[in-house]
Amino acid sequence: MMPGDPFLTTSADEVGEEIIVMTEEQHLYYLNYYGLDRPLSEQFLVYVKNLMMGNLGRSIYYKMPVSDVIMLHLPWTILIVVGATVISTISGVVLGTLSAKNRKNRSDRILMTGMIAFAEIPSFLLGLILLLIFSVYLRLFPLAGAITPFANYNGLVEQLWDILYHAFLPIVTLSLAQLTDVYLLTRNTLITVTTKDYIRTARAKGLGEKTVWIRHALRNALLPVVTRTGFMIGIMMGGVVLVESVFSYPGIGMTLRSAVVCRDYPLIQGILLVIAVSILVCNLLVDKIYGKLDPRVVI
Amino acid sequence: MIKDVAASGNARIISFAQALNIDKIVSSTAETFSRFSIEGKIGILGIICIILMAVFAPVITIYPPQKITGDSLEPPGPGHILGTDELGMDIWSQICYGARMSLTIGLAVAFAAGFGGGALGILAGYMGGHIDQALMRVIDVTMALPSLPLLIVISAFLGPSILNVILVLVLFSWAKPARIARSQTLSLKQNNYIIAAQNYGAKPFYLLWRHIFPEVMPVLLVLVIGISSHAIIAETGLAFLGLGDPTSKSWGMMLNHATGFRSIYFTPYWQWWLLPPLFMLIFLLLCLTFISRDMERILDPKLKRQKGF
Repeated sequence: MMPGDPFLTTSADEVGEEIIVMTEEQHLYYLNYYGLDRPLSEQFLVYVKNLMMGNLGRSIYYKMPVSDVIMLHLPWTILIVVGATVISTISGVVLGTLSAKNRKNRSDRILMTGMIAFAEIPSFLLGLILLLIFSVYLRLFPLAGAITPFANYNGLVEQLWDILYHAFLPIVTLSLAQLTDVYLLTRNTLITVTTKDYIRTARAKGLGEKTVWIRHALRNALLPVVTRTGFMIGIMMGGVVLVESVFSYPGIGMTLRSAVVCRDYPLIQGILLVIAVSILVCNLLVDKIYGKLDPRVVI
Repeated sequence: MIKDVAASGNARIISFAQALNIDKIVSSTAETFSRFSIEGKIGILGIICIILMAVFAPVITIYPPQKITGDSLEPPGPGHILGTDELGMDIWSQICYGARMSLTIGLAVAFAAGFGGGALGILAGYMGGHIDQALMRVIDVTMALPSLPLLIVISAFLGPSILNVILVLVLFSWAKPARIARSQTLSLKQNNYIIAAQNYGAKPFYLLWRHIFPEVMPVLLVLVIGISSHAIIAETGLAFLGLGDPTSKSWGMMLNHATGFRSIYFTPYWQWWLLPPLFMLIFLLLCLTFISRDMERILDPKLKRQKGF
């Protein structure tokens, strides 16, 4: 089993600190309370049974139901992941189109080399750099958190603004890390598509360059990008743990980190389940959308 | 007489050298090097610098990395080139010794996963049938798992040590080389010269070693570089989260200590404590990328680039 006992950290002030204040009797009581003294097979059956009823168990560290803890933190993660997906997809497609249009120029080569080099910097190192430049050196953005603590908002707009202000750097970090994939994919498919006959036909019909590129070429080139977006969310759910740690953003990744440090097994299980389910749901959605976009594909 | 012996000795050395084809090796290395693009050359030189730094770490540093040799949080100066951390340990020493850590983990994981997975893939592709099917299903499962959250949990389960980190990373990176080696083997198996060799009575091991492995090798080499950079990223990530070996001084661990230091961003300490490991990591990863992209181009222009963490 995992080393460490969750009950050693329950009375600590700080995450990860081990303070032993329990007597043997109290320790046994806790083991009994959480059902940890029963055989493993029985524990597993109870877990699965509870899971079927939507009960993920109780977090040992937070002392509340796991589903409540997750619900408290999941919205923040969804905010930055969805934000990053939208931004990286749109800017990746735009850059990819520009690059494909000027593909024999010097500017395309420079852009492509830069993007490839960029892709290899892992998202949390990128996040650290952005944090150092914009929050520490220029002091433009907040260092940590998702909202200003103890803030009194005058209306909804101000509150939204505060949330966006705090989410800005995490979203930018995540989208920069995913940008290159979309960019390369758009560029490559566009280059393949533009050699097709129907593009020549469109030009021969006398359509303007803009119409040819946007209505004929880009529309067909976007299909693989849609699939990519689904995978991207899966990759991002992994990277988000580290990025949230960099920005101390109170999402699900930070919670996973502290759960691991406190050995809070029920919470770890719950979070992994949520991550796995969200990846599966994204893949399913992508398949469905793909079927709608491309009538040739039958699901 | 003595002269003769010396002469014959020299002759022997020369003939030995000729037998080894040292000339050829040198010129072929130079030729390969000249085929790299400018970025590739920068990458190779950068990697050589980092390797030298790691190997000669005791020579180019004055202080041992894990001893308190100065005041706490000394700024860079003549005594400590890059300053000291909160415990008074020399940062330049930590950077040099940390290079060993990153390179060891990168290389160990890459070779174990690359060649182990490659061997499995070749065997499965060659044997086919149920074994092949079983391996493919295992590969599918391994590739579908979200690697980072699981990496975090597994390394927390196994406890922090370098060996465990390597094991976990190998577990997550063998699938890609196995898959590619398998598909290469499947297509190679159809070639006439292999069928001819089989008809001449070549044993499976001879076939695999002599005909199939050398063909798959270049692709595996490219993958090995990619895997090593992923392994370095993953190790850094785990260490950054505090799941690495706490006694080691890897670059990720330095980032962890520095970012874990209270109010580091409100003090000037980050300038010499956080920046050096950050820059070194990014430099190392960029060098590896440049090399692997160039090698892909040189060795196999048809190989499609795949990515994923």
